[in-house]
Order: sequence, then C-alpha cells, then structure tokens
Amino acid sequence: MSDEKEIKVSIRNLYKIFGDDPEAMIDHVKNGMSKTELQEKYNHVLGLNDINIDMRSGDITVIMGLSGSGKSTLIRHLNRLIEPTAGEIYMDDEDVLACSQERLRTIRREHMSMVFQKFALLPHNSVLENAGMALSVRGYKVDEFEADANKWLDRVGLSGNGGLYPHQLSGGMQQRVGIARALASNSPVMLMDEAFSALDPLIRTDMQDLLLDLQSELKKTVIFITHDLDESLKLADHLVILKDGFVVQQGNPQDILMRPNDPYIIDFISDINRARVLKVHSVMKPGSIEPEQHDGEVDWKDNLESVIARSEGNTSNVFRVMRDGEQIGTFTMKALVKALVPTDASADRISA
Amino acid sequence: MATYDSLFSSLGLEEWCAQSESTAPMSMDALMAQANGNENAATSLWDLPFPSMDSLNKACGSFPQSRELTRGLESGFLSIKDTLSIILDPVTQPLSWALDGALNVMLNTPWFIVIPLLLLVVLGVTRSFKLVVFVGIAFSLLAFIDHYDYAMQTLSIILVCAFICVLLGVPIGILMSRSDLMQRITIPILDMLQTLPPFVYLIPLIFLFSVTESKLYGIAIILYAIVPVIRLTNLGIRLVDKDVIEAANAFGMTDRQKLFRVQVPLALPNIMAGVNQTIMMSLAMVVIASLVSAPGLGVLVLRGIRNLELGVGLVAGLGIVILAVILDRVTKASLARIDSSQSR
Repeated sequence: MSDEKEIKVSIRNLYKIFGDDPEAMIDHVKNGMSKTELQEKYNHVLGLNDINIDMRSGDITVIMGLSGSGKSTLIRHLNRLIEPTAGEIYMDDEDVLACSQERLRTIRREHMSMVFQKFALLPHNSVLENAGMALSVRGYKVDEFEADANKWLDRVGLSGNGGLYPHQLSGGMQQRVGIARALASNSPVMLMDEAFSALDPLIRTDMQDLLLDLQSELKKTVIFITHDLDESLKLADHLVILKDGFVVQQGNPQDILMRPNDPYIIDFISDINRARVLKVHSVMKPGSIEPEQHDGEVDWKDNLESVIARSEGNTSNVFRVMRDGEQIGTFTMKALVKALVPTDASADRISA
Repeated sequence: MATYDSLFSSLGLEEWCAQSESTAPMSMDALMAQANGNENAATSLWDLPFPSMDSLNKACGSFPQSRELTRGLESGFLSIKDTLSIILDPVTQPLSWALDGALNVMLNTPWFIVIPLLLLVVLGVTRSFKLVVFVGIAFSLLAFIDHYDYAMQTLSIILVCAFICVLLGVPIGILMSRSDLMQRITIPILDMLQTLPPFVYLIPLIFLFSVTESKLYGIAIILYAIVPVIRLTNLGIRLVDKDVIEAANAFGMTDRQKLFRVQVPLALPNIMAGVNQTIMMSLAMVVIASLVSAPGLGVLVLRGIRNLELGVGLVAGLGIVILAVILDRVTKASLARIDSSQSR
C-alpha cells in the first residue's frame, strides 16, 4: 500500500486570496471567515483555504473538484505559476515557495513537468521540436534531443509523426505530444491540469489507460487535476476532493467511497457505478481464518463487478480473499450487495 | 475703451496695464476699425467677444496678444535649433548615407541586373511564380514609358525607410508589450504621429536640416510610417495565447527564450501586417516628401501640379499606383505564407 512510499511533494497550510491586499485578509481567513463573507465585506476572493496534502513518490494524486473549487489554482502553486498568499510547498524537503528565480527555473526545467488542458503546444514548431521542448530549453540542439524525443513519441503512440505540425493532429494526438513533452523532460514530478478534459470520452479512456500504463513502468509522482469523478476513481492512488478552496476529504479512493465524511461527497458519489469502482478488499471482512465453507478465491484487487459475474448472482456465496497467495480476509456476497447501495453504506458510517 | 476694461480695474491691475501700451504692431482688425472711425463705438451685450488673448489685450496693454504665442514658439524653436542639430546631425547622418547609397546603387546598376534581382527577391519572399510574372510585367511597363529611373528612386527610398522603420519599430513594440507604463507613454505619441497632417512634419525638419540633405525627407517618411509596425508588434505579442506562455513558463524558459522562441514567432503574422502598412505609408509620404527634394515619381506629380502639366502628373500618379500594387501584393503574399505555416 501507499503508506510505505516516501513523501515527494507536500503542501502545508497553503492559502491563496485574490484581491488588492491579500496579505491583510489572511488573518480574517485564519480566524475562520467564510468565502462569501470575505467577498461581501472586503471584496477579496478566497482561492485556497488551508490546504495540506502529502503526495507520495510513485503515486497518482488526483485533486478533484468542480469548476471554481480552486483545483487549477492549486496545481499552479506547485511550480509557482501562481504565487501563494501564505504557506509552504516542499519538494524533497526543499521549500519551492522560498527558492530564488534561478532555482525555480531549474526546478521547472528538471524536476516538474506539466501537461495542459488545452495542450499549449508551440504551433510554429514541429511535433518533434515540441516533444523535445524541455530539452531544447535546457540548451540542447535538435540533433542532440532528437533520439530522446522520438523515443517518447514512440512510447505515446506517435511514431513517425515527428515532422508534422500540431495543427495537423487531432486533439487526442496533440495531447499525446503534450504527454511526450512532459515525459521527455525526465522530471520525477508530473503535473497534469485537466489533461484529458478537452477530449472525447473514448479518446479520454484511451489516454487514461496510456497514463496508467506509463505509470506502471515509470513510477513518476503524478499530480492530476480533474472535475470528473469516474476519471479520478480510475486513476487515483490518493484522492483529494476540493470544494470552494478547501479540502473536503482526502484519502484512498476506496475509503472515500465507503466512508464519505461530508454530505457534499455523498451527493457526489451517488451517481457512480460502485460495482466497477469498489474493490474486494474494501468490502471484505479482514482475517486469515479460512471459512468453513467457501465457493472459491478472489484476488484482493478484483472489483465487485467481476465477483458478481463469478457468483452468477448467487447471494449466499462466500469467497476467500487472496493477496500474493495468502488469505487476508473473507468476502460475503451479502456484504457486496450492501456495499452497492451508496446511501446505506455511507449512512452506516456516519451514524457509527 | 474695450469690453474687459472693468475686469482689469476690478482686479486692481490698472497700473500693471498702464506700464506698457501695446508695443506690438496694430492688428488688421484694429486698423480696419480705425479706418472706419468707429473705434470706440459702444458694444451691446450681443457682441460680447470671447475673453481671448487679443480682446484682453485691447483692455490691457500688458496682456500678451495671441501672435506672441506663435512668435514665442518660433523663437524658442530657433534658439534650441543649433544645440538640437549638434546632437541630431551626427545621429541621423547614417540615414543620409543609406539613402544616397541606395539611390546610387539602384541607378548606377544597369536595368538588366536590377530587374532580375528584384524578381528574385519577390520569388524568395513569396514563392509564387504568378506574382513574379506580374511584377516583371509591371516593371517593364514602367521602364517602357521611361519612368524606370523615377520608379527606382521611389522604390529605393521606400525600401531604406521601411527597413529602418522595422529596425526601430519592432524593438519599440516589444518594449511596449512588456511594460504597461511604456505602452501608456508611447500610445499618445503614436496617436499624434498618426494624426498630425504629413505636411506638418516637414516644417520643423526644414529648420533643423538643410533641404539638400536626403535625411530630411528620410526622417519625415520614417516618422510617418513607423507607427503601424510599432502598434502591431505590441498588439501581436500581447495577443499571444496565454496558455502557450504559461507552458513556456512551466518548462522554465527564460524571458529571452520566451521572446525569441514563442512571442515573436507567434506574433509574426501581426508584425508582418504592420510591415505591410509601414511600406504603404512610406509610399504615401515619399510623394509628399518630394516637396522637400525627395527624388522619384513624386517630383513628376509635383511638376504636374506646379506647371499644370496634366499628362505628366497623371502618368506619374499611375506609376505610383503600380508601385503600390506591387509592394502590397508582395508583402501580403509573404504574410500569407507565414500565416499558413502556423495556422491552427
């Protein structure tokens, strides 16, 4: 599980206030003034309110929220495209917000790459030059970065398109170039700002699979912004839900589904296909004692949908839950059916 | 007795007024009134004059007349003229050399070298054979009616001036796009340059430089024609997609890299539109500048007006139109070529 991984990026007490004199407003906000009150009384907009997030190395941290929740503002603080009002951001124990412009440029060039919602490719440069942009910014010539750029173009499925220009490609292909550009910088941290939101649903699914595929191989620290709950549940190792500039809940996505702590989140998760998203280990009863009677074994990472298919709808089935060949729990179909009803599951937890 | 006598007496300024009876020569109005003998005729309220400098002067001799304003401006300009030209002369001297050199080269190279060379340039910037043929025919036509020398003079002046406009205008536009303060300062100056009637440029320039120097008309043309290239460079850079700039920042580009790799290339269509406008405005000004000895087709137009030689004036005017069409088509074609290479 993710607990063993070291923390790569951590955000501490981050505040962002938009307006003429944000410094003066920070005390009001720290004393608990609400967003609407701040807006009405002082005409300042509270962008981010006391954000604390730890992002672990090799994880995909998804920050989800609706428009206006501050998620795009938040991701731009990580590489300081937006300056904060107060707070710290540590990357490998270095405070990104305190470093010099020179150091910041090095961080942007070598430690954090970014993928944008609207692709933001250079229209006058070829696909190859775009893919190698991070390297050419560091001063490499085309023939020096060509091999590297081509390698990443191949990896995202754009072999042989290096000579084309961005406007000759479809949206999905342009975003592949965007991803190749971020990967070619060889930075350990990758920021993705609604990277797939501008794409068609089918292409979006393709791109999500591509990202998961790349991630299983490269183990980058990915920080992914989205407004799409299905997307966030598919990608996230660590899910942060943002609303009006503060973190409503964060944690393992399975935990959030099973134990939502806020009516806002209950509303949010009521529409999703729980059978496909929930995994066996979130519903099982932990314990290594073999049940007297069981109908087979299931892997701890299987989703509920596959178990339903396997039980052929028989609700009296009981399964052993296996992880690396050892039993870690028992799984009853009864619990499964119960877990499928969102309000029940969450009401249970809230009253408990 | 004048209308505003009471104003000065109520302010207690009679003494100051009495100090000097107007020393200025009598104005035409005053002379007429004296001749008609009704100098002191009572004026009704209906005829109340605006309290202008002249009418106040009538009431009080010490008050300056408005002619002092123009005279003051003139003497002020004349008194700084010498120091000004000490600075301006050497700074602008290269312009004279460039203009004279270009005219010299253009006219002393035989036509069978100049025309093919120009056609090659057209081919180089537009990659369009159709346009090359058109330009070839146009030049041959001008040469056939013995206007080759005049056309080449006009053309070389335009090319030199437009080149200098771009050389100065693009950096100024870039500075404007980077600083809002610079933009606030520059825009009123550009507005003034653009609205000032072209003849007005010539007046102070005639005082500053000798009419025999080619930089006189060079400066007039540059001042008039530089405005669009500055404006459109500024606009073009400010219009560059914010997302692309953000990406450039996110990948750690320095300001310099951002300028040369992102902003200028993306603003290029706008900058080229500015260059097109600058060239067309140089052409307009080079005709007017023939008043201050700029050679070329404008001289013929001027002759047509001065001597009422209808034919000479019309043919020269037609030559200017042909030149204008050539310059416009060629710059537009190269602009279109840049546009299509990065259209999105």
